[in-house]
Parts: sequence; structure tokens; C-alpha cells
Amino acid sequence: MKSFRSRRWTYLVGSLLAAAVLGVAWLLGRTALRPVAMYSGALLLALVTGLLLFNARKKLPFLPLLKASTWLQVHVYAGWLTVLVYGLHVGFRWPSGRLGLMLAGLFLFVSASGFVGLWLSRWLPPRLTRSGESLIFERIPLYRHRLQTEAREAVHLAATEANSTTLQDFYLRLLGPYLAGKPWFILALTGDDPKHHRVRAELAELRRYLDPREVAYADQLGDVIEAKRGLDYQLAGQSLLKLWLFVHIPLSYALFILSLVHAWLALRYAGRW
Amino acid sequence: MAKASSRPFFGGSVPPQARVTRLAEPERWDTPFSREMTEDEVNLVLSSALFAGVKPERFPARIPLRGVLKNDARIRDFLPGEIIVRQGDYGHSAFVILEGKIRIFLREPDGQKTGRREAVRVSAWGSFKRWLNRPTYPEEARRRGSGGTGPESRIFLQDIPGVLDPDWTVSMEAGELFGEIAALSRTPRTATVVAEGPARLLEIRWQGLRELRNYSPEWKAQIDQRYRQRSLLRHLQETPLFYNLDAASLQQVADATRFETVGEFDWYSGHNRVDGRAREHREHEVMIAREGDFPSGLLLVRSGFARVSRNYNQGERTGSYLGKGQSFGLPELVAGWRGGQPVALNHNLRALGYTDLLYIPAAVLEQHVLPRLPAAELDALVAGAVRGMGAGPGTWARPDEQNLIEFVVAGRFINGRAAMLIDLDRCTHCDDCVRACAATHDNNPRFIRHGPETTGIMVASACMHCVDPVCMIGCPTGAIQRGVSAGGEILINPDTCIGCGICAQSCPYGTIQMVLLRDEAGQPVLTEETGAPIRRATKCDLCADQPGGPACVNACPHDALVRADMREISTLADWLRR
Repeated sequence: MKSFRSRRWTYLVGSLLAAAVLGVAWLLGRTALRPVAMYSGALLLALVTGLLLFNARKKLPFLPLLKASTWLQVHVYAGWLTVLVYGLHVGFRWPSGRLGLMLAGLFLFVSASGFVGLWLSRWLPPRLTRSGESLIFERIPLYRHRLQTEAREAVHLAATEANSTTLQDFYLRLLGPYLAGKPWFILALTGDDPKHHRVRAELAELRRYLDPREVAYADQLGDVIEAKRGLDYQLAGQSLLKLWLFVHIPLSYALFILSLVHAWLALRYAGRW
Repeated sequence: MAKASSRPFFGGSVPPQARVTRLAEPERWDTPFSREMTEDEVNLVLSSALFAGVKPERFPARIPLRGVLKNDARIRDFLPGEIIVRQGDYGHSAFVILEGKIRIFLREPDGQKTGRREAVRVSAWGSFKRWLNRPTYPEEARRRGSGGTGPESRIFLQDIPGVLDPDWTVSMEAGELFGEIAALSRTPRTATVVAEGPARLLEIRWQGLRELRNYSPEWKAQIDQRYRQRSLLRHLQETPLFYNLDAASLQQVADATRFETVGEFDWYSGHNRVDGRAREHREHEVMIAREGDFPSGLLLVRSGFARVSRNYNQGERTGSYLGKGQSFGLPELVAGWRGGQPVALNHNLRALGYTDLLYIPAAVLEQHVLPRLPAAELDALVAGAVRGMGAGPGTWARPDEQNLIEFVVAGRFINGRAAMLIDLDRCTHCDDCVRACAATHDNNPRFIRHGPETTGIMVASACMHCVDPVCMIGCPTGAIQRGVSAGGEILINPDTCIGCGICAQSCPYGTIQMVLLRDEAGQPVLTEETGAPIRRATKCDLCADQPGGPACVNACPHDALVRADMREISTLADWLRR
């Protein structure tokens, strides 16, 4: 079984070789006064088209078109090469003109979102695994509802058995809104949700007012609060893993269309169309 | 007040005024085994010697004997040299010879001679066309009863005189029964069988065989006796320890062998409805052999699984598990035989649910088996047996591997031949696997990307295509069966599924989903008689007919998903350590 490390090395060495060949070809072409901008532009358009095909392959899972993981590896390393070819194409300068600026901006966003997405898809999954049970994204509201129900029942039982409203008041004032709410995903991911800390601290403070029967219910509520934190982490992490694609893919299509326009204009004004 | 929608929000609740499709409720014999079985042929079969003692009045009114023969049996004519069954293929039927002679191969002939070929998969273009014609709604109703009526392909043995070596074949004549082992035990055919001359056979699918066994004591006695005899000799022949034995010695070993059945036969019922920890506490795995005791004989696993463990403080640490064909106690017995005094067992052996064992007394082994084995061969067998026990005395498996073994054994995932494992440290929850499954299966994904987890690994709720597919036990129509390919995938024939849900209830892992059948408007299809919605069992078919193999595996961009044979724990551990 091929390890990820050896696969990474294979692709890396292949990409570096391709980059070296491209760099040398560009230098030679420029020295020989060849139209390197047109060549690099054609290569760039081909690379962008190839990178877009990865999404098309995902839509056709029933065809024997190599494994998606192979496509992703090629997509990632070809993405790095595309950045290099783009640099060669624009001469490593910030372009002028509206279309050029728009293209540069889009290219930057698409590339950056791709690299961020790659990092997220490697960095987040192990953390999601460690945060607790792996959950189906669409079911998270259902799990939240279950936690709310469990907390409500615990509070109700505590009030009935101990004839005391301490936990009920706590639920109405803090716990209920906390369980119903969703923290901002950065706070959930960093474990820095102030509402979570407050609700936990308040519950700890309340213990001095509780009798032994209520303490058991308070412990149960403590478990619910921790479960809610895990749920928030899952929601935030999984949202982020989906969100970056909503940025990356539409921008990629926009980049492709603008690239076609740019190529047509360049060829037209160069007298080749 | 809001206007009531004509389309139900939740599947299954249909407003009474809505126009809905109604069909006759699917029943067991909607799709008989063969359309060619006439009343005359049934009379012919009933007049044969095999059915002479069978009393029709013993059969219940809903499953009459004539009905069983008419719907669960068929007459087939074979030409000289024609292959009736092939070793290794999965079969669902037994055969009774009505006329002619057949030959059973004791040794498998060359694969080319038996015409073995790979499973038929559709072409890429065929797959694309199927996707273009996919239904709008999941599980749209189609015309039933179209399955099993196409012309059957016939395979003939090549070079018959050269292959039919009398030393390696056994002849059978009219009135004899064969094929019942594979049909009843859901296992591959144990031998290749060919027609020696023109032969007329009665083929009975396993549902019919089950009814005959249930309601005819004569058939039950015959089937059970043959099952035990043939299964035992075959099992012993296949065990490396007995390779050197001649037929007479093997028979002596067989005569001394005892059948032992340990545990609950219906362990699977309710297995998926309790959580893992409760399950471990609830199901007391029966102790078969105890660490520190002296072995009185060799144990061979005939079917089912057994846990091998060693005592560790207040508990037991699992070393490995044994499945069909594996033995327990050989190293200790050999050491005792060589040293002249008994050696205590190094491990415990517990039944995992249900375990069928063969017990061979130590005295028989010492008399007939061990002296005939060359020392080097015996050493190799002992070394293999020690490896099979997992980590040896004083050593433990790596922690990650140990956790995996405990998890796999506790959850009974050892049954899985193609379990869907997800590496949670790589899974980004993108659901590309689910979408790929839906795209290749009528818009209805056949698994749920959720399931039991251990350290960084999840067993998703997808059919594992089990070694022992208990889901097949109760199916009244044979709709759920093993594919005939060597892969042996467990498949559901939608044309013969009556939606009874027995398979879904039997599956210990909860991987079979009962889904509503829908019409072209997306409305649930109702039965004509009761108005209840018609359901159908669906599950993963391992993309048996897809050109590229399992779509879920191919669609995962992060290499986080694999279909794994759970008997290969070390391969699994390697996969996790990539």
C-alpha cells in the first residue's frame, strides 16, 4: 500500500520538474523573442480548463474516470503549477487595465481559496474527530433539539423532585438561549465561545444553592452543555469545510469565463482572430 | 388558514383525496422460480421415489406442497458435459437427479475448462445511458416479475474424456440429491458438477428446500444426514492438518469427530438496537476453552466466529478471532505430544454469537495425524496457528491495532467482506460518496455516512456483504441473494422483493433500508387491498454492475473511504497508518 508520504514526494518531484522545464522554456523563448505571453496564456487557459474538469468528474461518478483522489492530487499540484504559469504570463507584475485587474483579482481569490481549502481539508478533520462523535451535517439541528429536550426534562424533574426553581431559573435565563443559539464559527472552532464559558461558570456557582437531588440533575446539565459545545464545533467545522467550496467553485467558473474573454480580446487585438 | 398542500410533506402520509397509484400487494410467489413448471411436471415429480413418503397434509394451507414444487422448483435438462454447478460459485438451489448420471469433481478442473468468467459489468456508455434515464424520484415503481425469465447461458466442459478422471470424480445417479450445502448454508459451491450424459434434474431454490425440510421429516432427515456427512469430510479435507491423511485415516478422524454448537443461533436479532457497551454486557459470550486449562482435543471452527483472548487483570484482551477453517489448541497439543506431558492453553476461546465447532479428541490426533506429519510441516502449522492467535504470551499488539481488534470483534464487524470504513482524520464530510451512490442507484443512496466509531475510524451504515449473510435467512422469495460471481456480493432483486422487511430486521448492522415505492409523480404507491404504502428493501450492491467498481470509493477525493475485508486486520491497520 503506497503511503501518503511517498505519493506526496512523487507528485512534488514531478511538479518541480515540470516547473523547471516551464521556467527554462520561458527563458529560452523570451531570449529568442518568441511570443511567450501567447504561449503561456494558452497553457494557462488549458490548465484552468483542466482544473475545472475536476468538478465535472465529481458530477459523473458512474464513469470509470480514475479515482477522485487521483484527480484531487493532480488538481492540487497542477494548481501550484498554474500559479507559476500565471506569474510567467504576467511577468510577475500587477497587471494594468480593468479586465487585467479583474482577472488578477479573481485568480488571486481562486488560488487563495484553493490553498485555504486544501489546508482546511487537512487540518480540520482530525480536530473534528477529536471533538466527539462524527455527525451528519443535516442532522445537527435535530441533535440540538434533542439536547434542548433533555435539558428541559432534567430541569423539570429537578424542580418537581426538590421543589426548587434554581435550575429552572438558570434554564430560562441562560441555558435555554445558549442551547438554542449558534456561536460564530470562529469562536466555536477556537473553543473561545464566551456564552459557553459563562453558562458553565454559572452552573458551577449555582451548586451552592442545590440539594443533593438537584446536583445529579446539574451534572446532567453539565454533560448537555459539553455536548452542545461539541455540536457547535461540528457545525462550525463542517460549515467551514463546505463554505470554502462555495467561494472556490463559482469564482473558478467566473475566472474561466473571463479568461476566455481575455484570450479572445488578446487574439483579436493581436490580429490573430 | 393555510391551504393544505396536495403533496404530502412526510412520505407515507397521503391525503385521502389525492390521486395515487395502487398496485396489488407483492406476494411470495409473484415471481415463481420458473414459468415452465406445468401441472404435469409437478405430478411427475410427486410420483418420483423421493417424494413418495412426503405427506401433503403436513404442509400448511398457505404453503402447499404442490405450490412449493410449482413455484420454488423447476425441471432442467442438461446435455452431456454441461456444467450444472461450479465450485466457488454461490448457489441458492439444490438438485435432485430425476434421470441420467452426473459427475462430481473432487478436485477443481482448470478454470478455463469450466468457462469461469468475471462478473458482467455494463460499459461506460451503458452506465451513462442509465444515468440519463434515471428516475425523477427515488425508487420509482417498475413493472414487477420481469426477473429470472431470460434465457440461461449454458457452459460445457471442454475435453470431457480427459477431464473426467475416475480418480478425481464421483458419480451420482437418479434419486440422489446434491447442492444442498451451498443452498442452505449460504456458502460457495464446494464442488463442480457436470452431466455425464443427458440428464434431467429437479432444481429446488433454497426457500423451497427450507419448506420441504420444515414440513417433511423424511426430507429433513435426509438433508441433515447428507449435510453433516459431506460437510464434515469436505471440511476435514480442506484443513491443512489432514492433507497427508489417506481416505481410511480421514474417515477414522471423521468418525471420532464431535459436532459442537455454542452460543445463540439468532444472535443477530436485536444486535443493532443496543449500543456497543450495553451489547458487550448483554451478550455473554459463551466460554469454549479457558486459558490455563489443559486441552483434551483440537477445535476446528466450522462456521461462525470465536474470540481469542488472554486474561488481563479483571478483563480479557482480544488477540484475534477465528473463522471458518481455523483451529484452536494445536500449539499446546503438539507441545504436549512432543514433551510427553500436557501443556496448558495460552488463550481463552469464546463464541461470538454463534459458533459451530468440530472437536477432534487429542488421542485421535496423536494416533492418526501428528505422527504422519513431517516435523518441518508440523512446525509450520504450529507457527501459523500461533500467529492466528494474535500477540503471543507476554507481548501485546500495537495500541491502535489492539483498539481496532476490540472494536471490530465487539461490533461483530468480523462478518464483513466489504465493510465501508471511513478514516475520520481525512474525511471532510463533503458527501461526495453519498452523491455518487445516489447518482448510480436511482437517486437513492444505499448507505448512511454514519455509524459506530473507534479511534479515528468509522464503520458506515453500508451493507458489508457478510461472510455469513443472516439477512438472507428469512427472505420468503429469495429476492436477497448472493451474486453468482466469485465476488459473492449480496444483492436484492427489486422484481421479487415483496417489502416484508424481514431482511432489514435480520441485518445485525442495520444496513438495509425499507423505502417507499413511488410513482412517476413522486407519490407513494399503495396496495390495492389495504391501501398501505408498498415498500422495498434497498441496500448497497457494491456497484456490482458499475464499470468502475464501488462509486463511493472512487468518488472520495481524500482517500478517506475503503471497502475492506474485516478478516484482514493487519491490512486495515496498514491502511490507517498510510
